[in-house]
Amino acid sequence: MITAILNARILDPASNTDAEGGLIIEDGKVAAWGTGVQAAPSGADDVIDAVGLCLAPGLIDLRVKTGEPGEEHRETLATASRAALSGGVTQFVVMPDTRPVIDDVALVQFIARKGAEAGGAHIHAAGALTVGLGGTAMAEIGLMKEAGAVVFTNGDVPVADPSIMKRALAYAGSRGAIVASRPDTPALTGNAVMAASSYAARLGLKGMPVESEWIATARDLTLAETTDVQLIVDGVSTARTLELITEAKARGATVGCTANAYSLFFNDLDVGDYLTYCKVNPPFRVEPDRQALITALAAGDIEAIVSGHDPQPPESKRLPFGEASFGAAGLETTLSAVLSLVHDGPLDLVSALRPLTCGPADLLGLQGGRIANGAPADLILFDPDRPWKCEREDLISRSTNSPFDGRLLQGQVLRTIVGGATLFQRD
Amino acid sequence: MRSADAAYTFKEPHLLGLMGLNPLQLTSILDLADTYAEMSRANKRPEPHLKNKTVINLFFENSTRTLSSFEIAARRLGADVVNMPVSASSVKKGETLIDTAMTLNAMKPDVIVIRHSASGGVKLLSRKVDCAVINAGDGMHEHPTQGLLDTLTIRREKDRIEGLNVTICGDIAHSRVARSTTYALHQLGARVRLVGPRTLLPKDASDWGAESVHTDFDEALAGADVVMMLRLQLERMDGAYLPSRREYFRYFGLTRERLAIASPEALVMHPGPMNRGIEIESAVADGKGSVITQQVEMGVAVRMAVLNMLAGSGAP
Repeated sequence: MITAILNARILDPASNTDAEGGLIIEDGKVAAWGTGVQAAPSGADDVIDAVGLCLAPGLIDLRVKTGEPGEEHRETLATASRAALSGGVTQFVVMPDTRPVIDDVALVQFIARKGAEAGGAHIHAAGALTVGLGGTAMAEIGLMKEAGAVVFTNGDVPVADPSIMKRALAYAGSRGAIVASRPDTPALTGNAVMAASSYAARLGLKGMPVESEWIATARDLTLAETTDVQLIVDGVSTARTLELITEAKARGATVGCTANAYSLFFNDLDVGDYLTYCKVNPPFRVEPDRQALITALAAGDIEAIVSGHDPQPPESKRLPFGEASFGAAGLETTLSAVLSLVHDGPLDLVSALRPLTCGPADLLGLQGGRIANGAPADLILFDPDRPWKCEREDLISRSTNSPFDGRLLQGQVLRTIVGGATLFQRD
Repeated sequence: MRSADAAYTFKEPHLLGLMGLNPLQLTSILDLADTYAEMSRANKRPEPHLKNKTVINLFFENSTRTLSSFEIAARRLGADVVNMPVSASSVKKGETLIDTAMTLNAMKPDVIVIRHSASGGVKLLSRKVDCAVINAGDGMHEHPTQGLLDTLTIRREKDRIEGLNVTICGDIAHSRVARSTTYALHQLGARVRLVGPRTLLPKDASDWGAESVHTDFDEALAGADVVMMLRLQLERMDGAYLPSRREYFRYFGLTRERLAIASPEALVMHPGPMNRGIEIESAVADGKGSVITQQVEMGVAVRMAVLNMLAGSGAP
C-alpha cells in the first residue's frame, strides 16, 4: 500500500521545516518526504492532492481523562479516541484518576488493551504516583513503567505530605520514571470554584488564589531538584509559576511544563453569567496570566500544550456554578485554540505546532511527533484558515461540554492518518 | 430623581440582581414602594393587583424573616401564596435544582421567589421557567430586595441618596447584602465605603461601585451619613477568619463612642438578625439614629412593589 500526499505545506517542528512538498507513505511508514517529493511514485494506490493544506505530525496530548474504567457514561476510551482523531490527535495519555485508579499493572494493561481495541489514536496510561491516589503509599511505579505507563502523577489531588512526595520522587527517579505534578495547595484552594479575581468576588464565587499554584510548584521543584528526577509541572496557569520553572531550569533541573489549551484562550471574565462549561481546573485566570502563558509559549518555555480533556455529563453541569463538576471536553478544539494565537500574531505555525507534536514527545520520550523516514505515518492534514463554529451537537466526544461551545474558530483538521491509514476525514 | 420625571416603568422579566439596573429602573421601584409604605402607614388597602395570581416562595435556605416579608407582601396584593421550604431530603433524593424548577413551572405559577445557597442558583432556575423570578438571596451573590429596602429606608429618612456617605461594615466578602446595597447606592449617587477585617474583605471592590475599602473602622466612619452593620456569621468567629468575638467587637463593633465619629445625624442600619454585643451595641441598635425596624417595614413595601411590577400592572 503506497499513498502519496502532494503539494502540501509541510510543517515539522522537530526539523524546523516549513516548506512546500510531498510525502510518500509505504506500508504505514514514511518512505520519503520533503520539497523533492513532487510526484506520486508509480504504483501509488492513493494520491492526495493537498494543495492549500498543511501537513504535520499527528498531535500528542499528554493530559486526557476518559471515564473508562468506572464512568463510561462520561467518555470511553473508544469515544475519546474518535474525538481525538477529529481533533488531529494521534496519540494521548490518559490520567490515572479513574475508578478504579490506574495504580497497578493490570490497570495499565487494561488501558493498553482497550486502547488498541478502539483502533484509533495510540493511547498510553499515566500511572498513579500513590496507591488509590491517596497520597500515603507509593504505587508500583517500576512495575507499571515496565507495563507501559509513560508518566506518573497523582492526578488532580496533589500528594499533600511533602515527605511522601519526596520519597515518591526519589524512587521514581531511581527507576527512570517521569513524574508529572499538577501544582495545587488544597488547603488554600479549598472548595473554590474559579480563579480568584475581582470578577469572582462580584459573582460571589470562591476563588482559587494564584499562591496555591506557586507554593505547590516551589515545593515540587525543590523536591525534584534534590531527588534527581524528571518533573513535569502540569497545567501551569500563572505568570509566576512560569518564573519559578525558568529559575529551576537555569539551575539545571530536569523540569518541563505543560499548559492547557483553554488557558491560552480564555480569561476569568469568560465565566460570564455562571457558565458551568467554563468551570475547569486549572481555572481561567486573569488576563495578565493568560498573556504571560502566550509569551512563554512563543519563547519555547512551555514544552507541551494539553487539552485537559475531561468531559462531564449534563447532570454534572446543569447545576449552580459552585455545585457543578470541573472539567470540559478539549480534544477537538486544542488545535484551533492554538491556531488562534497564529491568527492573532504572537506565534508562527511551526512554533504553534511544536508544543503539540515533538514537544510532548520529547518530554515523555514517546515515539512520533515528528516526520521522519521510516517512522510510523501518524500525520494530519489541516486547513489553518478554515472558519468553523464550535457547536456542542457537532462534537464527537460522548459528553460535549466545551467552553468553546458557540465560538467561532479558525483552522480545522481535514484528515487524520494513523500508521498510514486515514482514520478520520472531514469534508 | 422621581419616576414622574421620566415616566419609566420596570420592564425586566425577573429581578435577579441590582447590578446592571439603571437609576431610572431603581427609582421607579423605590417610588412605587414608597407609595405602598405610605398606604400601609395610613392603613389603606392597596389595589389587589395580584388577585388570582399564584406566588410560590421556594426557599432552599432557612429564612423566617425574608419568607414572611414576601408572603405578607404577596397577600396584601391579593395573591395566592404557596410556601415551599425545600427540605434537604428532596435534594438528597437526587432531584436537581433544574428538576425542581421544571416541576414547579408545570404548575403554572405567576411568580417564583427563590432563595438558594449557591451564587447564581436563582439565575440558573430563572432560565428554566416561564414566569417571573425574584431573587430572595443567592449564595454570596445578590439579595436585591434587601438592597432596595436599604436604599428606600435611607431615601425616606434623608430625602435623597445622591452625595450621601454610606459606610458598610462587616463580612463584606461573604455578603450578598453588601453587594446589592452597594450597587444600588452607587447607581443613585451615594459614596459607599466598605470596611471590615482584611480576611473578610474582597481584594478589590472598585467594580462594585464602592468608593473606598478600609480596614480601620474609625477612618471609614468619619463624616458618615449612614452606618450599616452586617451580620457576622458565628462560624466565621472560630479563629479561621477572626481571632475572637471580643476582638471583633473591639475593632469593628458599633458603639456609642464610635458612632460619634460619624455625622451627628447618622442613621444606623442592620439587615438583621443582629448579634448584639458582637457587631453592634444594644444602646446603638435601639438608639435614636437606628432605623432598623423601618428597614423591616420597608422590606414589605419594596417586595409589594417588585411583585406588582413583575406580575401586576405596575400601577399603585
